[in-house]
Amino acid sequence: MNRSPVALLVLTLAPALLGLAIFRAYPIGLALYESLYTTIAGERTFVGLENYVGLLTDSGFWKSLRVTLWFNLIINPLQVALALALALMFVQKLPGMAVFRLMFLIPIGISLPVAVIIWRIVLLPEGFLNGALGAIGLGPYRFLTSPDFALYSIIAIATWKGISYWMIFLVGGLQNIPQEINEAARLEGASAWQRLWLVTLPLLRPTLLFVLVADITINFLLFAPVFMLTGGGPRGSTNVLMYEAYKSGFVFGDMGRAMAIVVCLVAMLLVIVAIQFRLLSSAPAREGK
Amino acid sequence: MSPTARKALIYLAIAVTAFVFVLPLWWAIASSFRPNDAMFADLFPFTPRALLPEPFTVEAYVAIFERGFGSIIANTLIVAGLTTALGLVVNALAGYAFALFEFPGKSAVLGVVVVSFMLPFEAIAMPLYSVVSQLGWIDHVAALVVPSVANGLAVFLFYQFFQQVPKDYYEAARLEGAGWLRILWSVYVPLSLPTCISAGLMLFIFQWEAFLWPLLAMPAQQFKVIQVGMAAFQDQYTTAWNQLFGAAVITALIPMLLLIPLQRYYVQGLAGSGIKG
Repeated sequence: MNRSPVALLVLTLAPALLGLAIFRAYPIGLALYESLYTTIAGERTFVGLENYVGLLTDSGFWKSLRVTLWFNLIINPLQVALALALALMFVQKLPGMAVFRLMFLIPIGISLPVAVIIWRIVLLPEGFLNGALGAIGLGPYRFLTSPDFALYSIIAIATWKGISYWMIFLVGGLQNIPQEINEAARLEGASAWQRLWLVTLPLLRPTLLFVLVADITINFLLFAPVFMLTGGGPRGSTNVLMYEAYKSGFVFGDMGRAMAIVVCLVAMLLVIVAIQFRLLSSAPAREGK
Repeated sequence: MSPTARKALIYLAIAVTAFVFVLPLWWAIASSFRPNDAMFADLFPFTPRALLPEPFTVEAYVAIFERGFGSIIANTLIVAGLTTALGLVVNALAGYAFALFEFPGKSAVLGVVVVSFMLPFEAIAMPLYSVVSQLGWIDHVAALVVPSVANGLAVFLFYQFFQQVPKDYYEAARLEGAGWLRILWSVYVPLSLPTCISAGLMLFIFQWEAFLWPLLAMPAQQFKVIQVGMAAFQDQYTTAWNQLFGAAVITALIPMLLLIPLQRYYVQGLAGSGIKG
């Protein structure tokens, strides 16, 4: 059993590192490589940057990029704000909180496709939401088939499913804030609202930032609801880039264009992760941990 | 506002939020026990009876299993179980090496491992299709299991835990002549049971919830896993609402059965992913 440390290192590290290299790093390289080729009738030809140039002059790509950015501009601040509101409720110490806490946590155990199926039926013209809205004299609305509503319905579904998950991180952050600081501010006469803005939120900043960036990376790549509910429609109103790439590669067989879109998406994401590291490393260190 | 009135208001806000939050799920569960033609009864005009499973029937669940949902569940359990078992061994070994040995470039390699879990699986799913088809694994179970075994977050969780174990344990065991594998197995693994549960849950849930990757990797759909199976079900039986709800309820129930008793470990695992490299 007396192996040299080198053999030992290779033995213990190789399986995980090889796995990460082949199934995480190599695909990124391969996407770059394949985005430089085009496949016509099974024949692969090198075309250089033509796929990228094609995207620049492709109104379908620009429209899809606009949908993706608009979607993210709404959903990310919304999810972080709601997750924060949930977290602030979650940490309250009131009778019966255990039950409410459990209710807040339930969507974590629900996958996105499950949430989509449930909400699809809830949002039907004859479904639960229209029934409830009808009771107060509204609707019925075509939540999923109207170009005015579909994107916002997807935002609602993904938000319902997602915020419990982000809440957990924020609850952790809130619990790391020493009680004495809030107590001292209270004794100084700060109102609850002032304490939230002047004490809690600044101290929670690193956690909020982490959640925001992690949330952005998830929502940039959101796929299942679009695939299952709208197929990018109606009239392209929900056609996010992830779905556009999927259609290119796996419906129309244009892998080159699909990979070019994926490369653009990953490039945008790497920029976000880089910004995250930059911002978090300059942020004040958290207490404890 | 008096403190009591304020408390009452907060309490009310929490109760209403919690209620609204679980309402869609409640309606789905209740309606999955209704016959299909009574799905939308009690909605126009709206009455609270819409939230009750009446008339009560389990026909939806019977129909789901007659349509082969049982084998879809079994398939997913196999994939998730294999990934969890292999993933625990592979990632714990790597975490052990990172925690105990010094080697040139260690912090750089560890940095790359950390970055690898910041990038979601969806980002690489499409190029991964090319990798897996080069390996000839398209439509094979290996395509679902093997790429998910090595996991940066799991490596990181084990690394973090093993690092906290006092080095004296290792030295003492070395002096008694124990080999590294024995030390890992009889000293480190028993100590790291909570980390094993956290990492195992993470790997399991990841596979249980996988959608895009199985959709791409198994185009023939001979071997269906649960999320894709459910989506296909939705396309096939468009208006069998109660069965769709039933399938959704079952799909949600199985991870919940694991998560509720083990939620502490799951949250610890999540907290690990929030720790900044």
